[in-house]
Amino acid sequence: MLGDLLFEPFVSGLLITGVLALAGAGLFLRGSVWQALALGQWAAVGGVLASVVHWPVLPVALALGAGVMALLQRSSDRERLPLAVFLAGLAAVTLLAANFAQASLAAAAWAEGQLYFAGPRELWAVVALGLASLVFAPGLYHVWRHAQLAPDVPGTRSPRTWLRLTEIAWLVAAVVLGSMVLGLPAALATLLLPAWGAAYLARNLRGLFLWAQALALAGFLIAWSVSLPLDQPFAPVLVLVNVGLALAARLLAMSRP
Amino acid sequence: MPPQTALHAEAAHLGFDRPVLGPLSLDVPTGTRWALTGPNGIGKSLLLKAVTGQARVHSGTLRLGPATRVSLLAQDHPRRDPWPLCGHDWFRAMGATPPDQPRVQALLDRRLDRLSGGQWQLLRLAAALHSSAHRPPGERLVLLDEPANHLDAEVRGDAVDLITSLPAATTLVMTSHDDEFLQAVGVENHPLTDYLDAR
Repeated sequence: MLGDLLFEPFVSGLLITGVLALAGAGLFLRGSVWQALALGQWAAVGGVLASVVHWPVLPVALALGAGVMALLQRSSDRERLPLAVFLAGLAAVTLLAANFAQASLAAAAWAEGQLYFAGPRELWAVVALGLASLVFAPGLYHVWRHAQLAPDVPGTRSPRTWLRLTEIAWLVAAVVLGSMVLGLPAALATLLLPAWGAAYLARNLRGLFLWAQALALAGFLIAWSVSLPLDQPFAPVLVLVNVGLALAARLLAMSRP
Repeated sequence: MPPQTALHAEAAHLGFDRPVLGPLSLDVPTGTRWALTGPNGIGKSLLLKAVTGQARVHSGTLRLGPATRVSLLAQDHPRRDPWPLCGHDWFRAMGATPPDQPRVQALLDRRLDRLSGGQWQLLRLAAALHSSAHRPPGERLVLLDEPANHLDAEVRGDAVDLITSLPAATTLVMTSHDDEFLQAVGVENHPLTDYLDAR
């Protein structure tokens, strides 16, 4: 079914979808969806900037994403500051695109998504992140579960500092690589919408992660099988499919006794 | 710090951005059951928050006994909607084993965002009381901030049973304006004002 040309995009997309669904469930539990928006936008700034200065995209996008995350972590403001940072990133991309021809092309690529052009470099980066996610998953689960308790305090130890830093670094890598492979809107839709739908369907915390994975992977497969034969750009199709699935999940949960 | 003391304060000034309570000096002996009493706004909840690091000690000393681990039931815990956690998830997060009490057991498989206010308070109370229960009872300090809040008649008796069944060596410090509840759980009343400017 998959030609050689599409094998790498398909596998890269499928794997990064699983990683983003995990990250999305974590961000949902942390109540940090605005952070994801700001982080993804500044990853795009990094990608566009890298095209202007002819540097490799991934390190620049990661560096800017990490800088933004470090800034957001220093503040307890979970809405206004991330929104301001997101808007500043949007302005930066627009200004770069207005002043540099190559930036304009790069900005369009980040907005539309370049999944069909994902090559071995993207595939190996996604495989590495997927393996890292498997290794870190128990620790991430521990951090996210513990984050639900405040203002109550348990008699057990809090997650160690290195584990919290690992969580932040992993989230940055997931959002940046996801935006790079799927495009910013598609990556954000995969982060936010499956976890939102899953939150209504799940009976417990474990169910949240399983449902988020199921909805995200179903969304990817549906979008892939619709956009290719109809010759449509992948990212907007994925966004619409994920919106539909999240709404269906909400309606299904409402119909339960 | 005297031996066998779970909590020691010496001329402590407590607050968030600036000190608003103090100087406070007190010693809570290990294994005692204290109710801190006093009018609203005097700083009872602030003291409990300072013990858990949620509020600052601006000057003076506020110290736990050696190896003492603290669990806190905060005065309120608003629930998000939707919030896909069940009672088992909550006990695991609190590092607690659920007690055998039937009314608590009945809540373990239910989502937290679908419990009544009284059920949610009972579940949180049970988890705070059993958090880190594998440790020696003498090393545990349980802080309960207005545990009688939101408890309806149906679960009030269960809450009293949970508190009174705490091991004798475990230290309990609670706040409450509900005199009947304080009497039922059998705690010593300690007006917070007695410990301000006391030394």
